[in-house]
Amino acid sequence: MPKYTLRVNRQVHQVDADPEMPLLWALRDLLQLTGTKYGCGIGICGACTVHEDGRAARSCEITVANAVGREYVTIEGLSAAGDHPCQRAWIEEDVSQCGYCQAGMMMTAAALLAEKPHPSDAEIDLVMSELVCRCGTYQRIRKAIHRAASEGKAT
Amino acid sequence: MRTRREFLKTAAGAGFVLAIDLKAFCAAEAKADFSPNAYIEIHPDNNIRLWVTRTEMGQGVRTTLPMMLADELEVEWSQIQLEQAATVPRFQGIRLRTSGSGSTVGTYNSLRKAGATARVMLIGAAADKWGVEPATCRAQAGSVVHLPSGRKATYGQLADAASKRPVPENPPLKDPKEFRYIGKPMKRTDGHAILTGTATYGLDTRVPGMLYAVVKRCPYLKGSVISFDRSKAMAVRGVRHVIPIESGLATGVAVVADQTWSAMKGAEALEVNWNPGPNCNFDSDQFLGEMEEALGESGYYVRGDGDAAQAAASEGRKLEAVYEFPFQAHAPLEVMNCVADVRADSCEIWVPTQAPTTAQEYTAKQLGIPVEAVTVNVTLTGGGFGRRLFVDYVPEAVEISKAIGKPVQVVWTRSDDMRFGFFQPPSIVRIAGGFDHAGKPLFWSQRSVGCDLSMFGPLDAKALADPRHYFNDGSPWGSFDNPYNFPNLQADFVRRNSPVPTGPWRAVEYPGQVFARESFIDEMAHAAGRDPLELRLELLQPGDVLKLGDAKVDRGRLIGALRLVAEKSNWHQAPVTMPDRLWGHGVACNIYSDDCFMAQVAEVSVGKSAGDIRVHRIVCALDCGRVINPLGLEGQTESGVTWGLTATLRGRIDFRNGTAVQENYVDYEVIRMHEAPVIETHILPSELSPGGFGETAVPPVAPAVANAIFAATGKRVRRLPITSKKLRA
Repeated sequence: MPKYTLRVNRQVHQVDADPEMPLLWALRDLLQLTGTKYGCGIGICGACTVHEDGRAARSCEITVANAVGREYVTIEGLSAAGDHPCQRAWIEEDVSQCGYCQAGMMMTAAALLAEKPHPSDAEIDLVMSELVCRCGTYQRIRKAIHRAASEGKAT
Repeated sequence: MRTRREFLKTAAGAGFVLAIDLKAFCAAEAKADFSPNAYIEIHPDNNIRLWVTRTEMGQGVRTTLPMMLADELEVEWSQIQLEQAATVPRFQGIRLRTSGSGSTVGTYNSLRKAGATARVMLIGAAADKWGVEPATCRAQAGSVVHLPSGRKATYGQLADAASKRPVPENPPLKDPKEFRYIGKPMKRTDGHAILTGTATYGLDTRVPGMLYAVVKRCPYLKGSVISFDRSKAMAVRGVRHVIPIESGLATGVAVVADQTWSAMKGAEALEVNWNPGPNCNFDSDQFLGEMEEALGESGYYVRGDGDAAQAAASEGRKLEAVYEFPFQAHAPLEVMNCVADVRADSCEIWVPTQAPTTAQEYTAKQLGIPVEAVTVNVTLTGGGFGRRLFVDYVPEAVEISKAIGKPVQVVWTRSDDMRFGFFQPPSIVRIAGGFDHAGKPLFWSQRSVGCDLSMFGPLDAKALADPRHYFNDGSPWGSFDNPYNFPNLQADFVRRNSPVPTGPWRAVEYPGQVFARESFIDEMAHAAGRDPLELRLELLQPGDVLKLGDAKVDRGRLIGALRLVAEKSNWHQAPVTMPDRLWGHGVACNIYSDDCFMAQVAEVSVGKSAGDIRVHRIVCALDCGRVINPLGLEGQTESGVTWGLTATLRGRIDFRNGTAVQENYVDYEVIRMHEAPVIETHILPSELSPGGFGETAVPPVAPAVANAIFAATGKRVRRLPITSKKLRA
């Protein structure tokens, strides 16, 4: 199988994979980075969201071949000590229930805050409505994003 | 004390004693762990391990259950190492199944007792050591302190001595006034692991040498495989095996590969010739029509107070309506999956399931090995909602692992998960009601047509022959335990089953029945020109406890929830005026399983021209007895409301030609953030036994919203989901 060079969480990895394999499965099955989740497989639930060159992207829709030359960050690499403003805010607001969607939620929120440090409710809704939480933690997610926005500068 | 050197010197001259003495010596060297019961283990190095015996699926058991243990045990939260119970001998006789909102109710007494047992033994060990009265010692923060002298020993230091003490039968429990954790808001224990990607869900299980399998499933209900051509699947890179499987819910052909993606591609490429079987013409619209026709039949006895038939024949205002609740999917975000490793004489399983003991029993039977030879490890679960009470994904993994001789992870695709579940069955409910000449509520007559849950197997002939079978079963929930005090109240149940597999969904039978009941009360109120909330309060008088078989319907506590929701929602406020929208609010309430009381007020608006529905706010007032974790309770309220709202506005599974139509979150839409209302949780303080809360918030949502939409628009929607199209019709 062809070899591809992937840059994930500031490390370089060589993977043998089908060129069409989605980055999601390369992360989970080849690099053992299982924090990125499979939800729908067609880019509509957001559970597999990672950062691609600093922007939120659906890893189920990026092929390994297309991932070459780009810089990826997954939930495992969001912060060194698990203390990104979003991670802290998510804990403070006790957002998670089953928690399965939350990696995607936080990666999306972190990318949003990087672009818009103080988003309005409408701006949050616009971006976060692209994701699914079956436990219904939405109002806590919104609160957590506002909290991360107000505390983000501290780090 | 003898030194090791002295011991060895003495022992050298007395061969036969050596073995015994050596054992005694080693025992003296190695201090024992203290484990007075299955839930607690305290090591001499002060490592305190607590076991969770229920499955975490978001409802918070890995926080709530240790809170109850830790409170009685008197340990710091930061000292605890949490462990998840597996089907191993340690937990023999302890329930590991998670269902019926029963985890808090079912463990409250036993976990408190387990914690208190350990505390008493640790205090006893310290008191002996110091030669003081146990009553002068106190357990606090993982240590025992002798109050007069201030002497202190950690639990780790006392573990060995405590392990040698008799286990007390009835250790004193703490006075609730002294609770440290119970009743306090506690954050989720797995929060940090979840948010750093280190928490292990079923799908994250990785076992050395493991392969991945995706099953191409027969799309037709109870269809089968006639033949298949493995060549195209085998041509996909990474595919190792293509094997037909017979176990599980839907038979098919498994494609086993080095990675999940290869298995998915292989399953797509695989060519299978299906036998569509007996149900290939099944159509859910037709089935709903047949259910509605069944309203003409008489059914099993559910309730019979007074004489509803005679009352219905009398003069006075009367009305009647039919309500429909369609098939629903669970659609948890983590698809069904299971890792099985079948070895020569044993099997180990890692699975996100609500029923690990069932998985163990099934696997033992499937492999013909003793139950003890099967270990089921329970992982974190990306949502359960009742779907994971059945373990059909486990025998699939076991069958494949046995066939290939390697550990394997079966991964369902999203489409598999949506189409091959144990669905929430539909219900059709007709209610007639009326008032006497003075405008007093006179009668209520309800006929519910519904399905048995196929997950629990077919009813036997004896049950079917008993006209009071459903009453004895307390079924259907929401009709059987109708709390309203009509002088004449009659209810029955007509069963109609389809080939669709059905199982418990969040709140089980309540959602369909409560949608009908609480909508109809609203219709009666409007027909009589009464305030819907005031009419409910009147119908719950005198606030007594209604006894039905073993069930107790406490009307007084429901009145309490209704009064609180009226206050917190400002029920008697003037309607809100909006320029292009019609505003309305609606109320609904329900008692979940005798012990959780919930009233909700929904505030909605509907676009005057577009007919688009917005749910702005849902105010919840509840009484569920003593609250263990108020933060968790708020979370479950928000979760249940959002779940209920999906069923109210979006959710519906259709079957055409024996196949489920919906396959993903595109066509089975769930509520997303922009549609999520503000949800308020108001808790009535109570010192009564805790009730189970995972499902309580679901049933009132649909009727509260439907009633609000009626208040706003004058349109009554009786068939879920409520859509703009139905409002414009």
